[in-house]
Amino acid sequence: MSFRLSRALAVYRKDLLDLRKNRGLLWSMLALPLVIVVTPLGVVFAYVRNPNDPSLKAIALYYDLTVDLANTARFLVEKVLADWFVIYLVMPVFVPILISSHAVAGEKEKRTLEPLLASPVTPLELVIGKSLASLVPSVILCTLAFFLLCAGVDIVAWPLAKELVLPNGMWLFGVFVIAPLFAFFGNGVAVLLSARVGDSRLAQQLAGLMVLPLIGLAAGQFAGWLKAGTTYYALIGGLVLLLDLVIVVVARRLFDRERLMSRWG
Amino acid sequence: MSGIRVEGLEKRFGARTAVEGLTFEVRPGEVFGLLGPNGAGKTTTVRMLTGLLTPSKGHASVCGVELPLKSDDDGVALRKKVGLLTEQPGLYDRLSARENLEFFMRLNEVDEVAAWKLANALLERFGLKGREDEPVGGFSKGMRQKLAIVRALVHSPEVVFLDEPTSGLDPQSGRVVRDAIAELAKEGRTMVLCSHNLPEVERLCSRVAVIKNRLRTVASLTELRREGLALDVQVDGDASAFGSALAKLSFQVGHQAEGSRLRVMLDREEQSPDVITCLVQAGARIHSAQRAARPLEEAYLELVREEQEAP
Repeated sequence: MSFRLSRALAVYRKDLLDLRKNRGLLWSMLALPLVIVVTPLGVVFAYVRNPNDPSLKAIALYYDLTVDLANTARFLVEKVLADWFVIYLVMPVFVPILISSHAVAGEKEKRTLEPLLASPVTPLELVIGKSLASLVPSVILCTLAFFLLCAGVDIVAWPLAKELVLPNGMWLFGVFVIAPLFAFFGNGVAVLLSARVGDSRLAQQLAGLMVLPLIGLAAGQFAGWLKAGTTYYALIGGLVLLLDLVIVVVARRLFDRERLMSRWG
Repeated sequence: MSGIRVEGLEKRFGARTAVEGLTFEVRPGEVFGLLGPNGAGKTTTVRMLTGLLTPSKGHASVCGVELPLKSDDDGVALRKKVGLLTEQPGLYDRLSARENLEFFMRLNEVDEVAAWKLANALLERFGLKGREDEPVGGFSKGMRQKLAIVRALVHSPEVVFLDEPTSGLDPQSGRVVRDAIAELAKEGRTMVLCSHNLPEVERLCSRVAVIKNRLRTVASLTELRREGLALDVQVDGDASAFGSALAKLSFQVGHQAEGSRLRVMLDREEQSPDVITCLVQAGARIHSAQRAARPLEEAYLELVREEQEAP
């Protein structure tokens, strides 16, 4: 077996170093978590600012006819946070896409692929190294965004809830179990696409389409057709786990030195 | 064993045959040229010999590793024994020269202290010392290519493949890179140089294989020049007037006229007296006639032309 972790880690370190020096990419990576943290804070603030607004009751009743009408603001805060998790999942999918689409397509564009493939690194080491370089920053970023969201929500919702609203069981399960599965999925799709298409922008655009199902789910939730919760997200996570396994199988077939060289070298 | 032995190597991409029938040997310590026009299959040959492409037919041995590769382990072993300088330097622009070299040292799993000793010596020799911590994106083309040479050597490979190392460089940068390669050649490294730049090949290589999708010849440069001799004849007046007279010879010869000088390409030395007699009979007043080695360019073009005309 010719797999050497040291070579995979060398690829990981190089890509991470390259990412650190790519300010444009770093800023675009930071913009998304910022939006994902700030937006629900605004909504929660709107509910908390005027909890007795009669229109909140109407909104709450639209979602649940059995809602306790004395606590509609609290109900809506919890509802928006449960629904928002699907939007939060855009981040673990999209951030690895931003990084990984440069992973192989970027090497092709900069003509660094041939010297790289002429080194002793094996395709498996290359995929693992590049995937780590995309997964580690995105998992860190998602976790930091989650902590920021918790802090922000708890501060904003404190006058209403008088207790910590976040983290709750669903978010903890989501952030530490579901989100890494989504990150693996986003990374896998971007790596595979960047191995197939000629330039990193096209790979990024195509891989970016992967967030559309999440937007569709969010729309379903906000429309009241889907009810978000731990079981609901666990089902989605199970589906993504299956997709991750498919990606691993396809990657093993596609990531071949000869295929990459004859196609892109 | 740092030599290369190639027997009947062939590479097809679908229905298209990129290169076929390659058989040659590169001796340890030799600078060997792979000569051929664009699209002749030089890069494909190098990619097969460095394990990047699998041969469709035939086999080869590079530094004792057999091709086609039998396992991933063989591939790793081969790539540790060879260094490759690609036509484009292929460096990471945002990374410094040091970071670029460090990355390849780690991929090759070499002792970094020893590798840095070697790299520093090479950087010093190529005038890059003191620039190691600058981003490579700010380097000139010549500097980038020299750094790529250092990268190809940091793991002390037994064989170095240089694929069009001066292609796309301005004359000054090209010269700098050629000088660098010449210095390495003096050290007795086994090197395979792919090029269509004949002066470069003449300066650096001892033997060449001329290929154009298949092997045309393998010869030393002296042999290649002598493959057809030339006769330089100095006549009175315009030499081109006597070109038609040469058509009357019982054998075919090529010729070039330039002012009063007529260069006649011969197949055999014994043809010289017949050529001179023919010119005299055509009324030429001959001032001098001397045999000359055919320039490499003519020998090369003739080989490539013959190949183009072949069915």
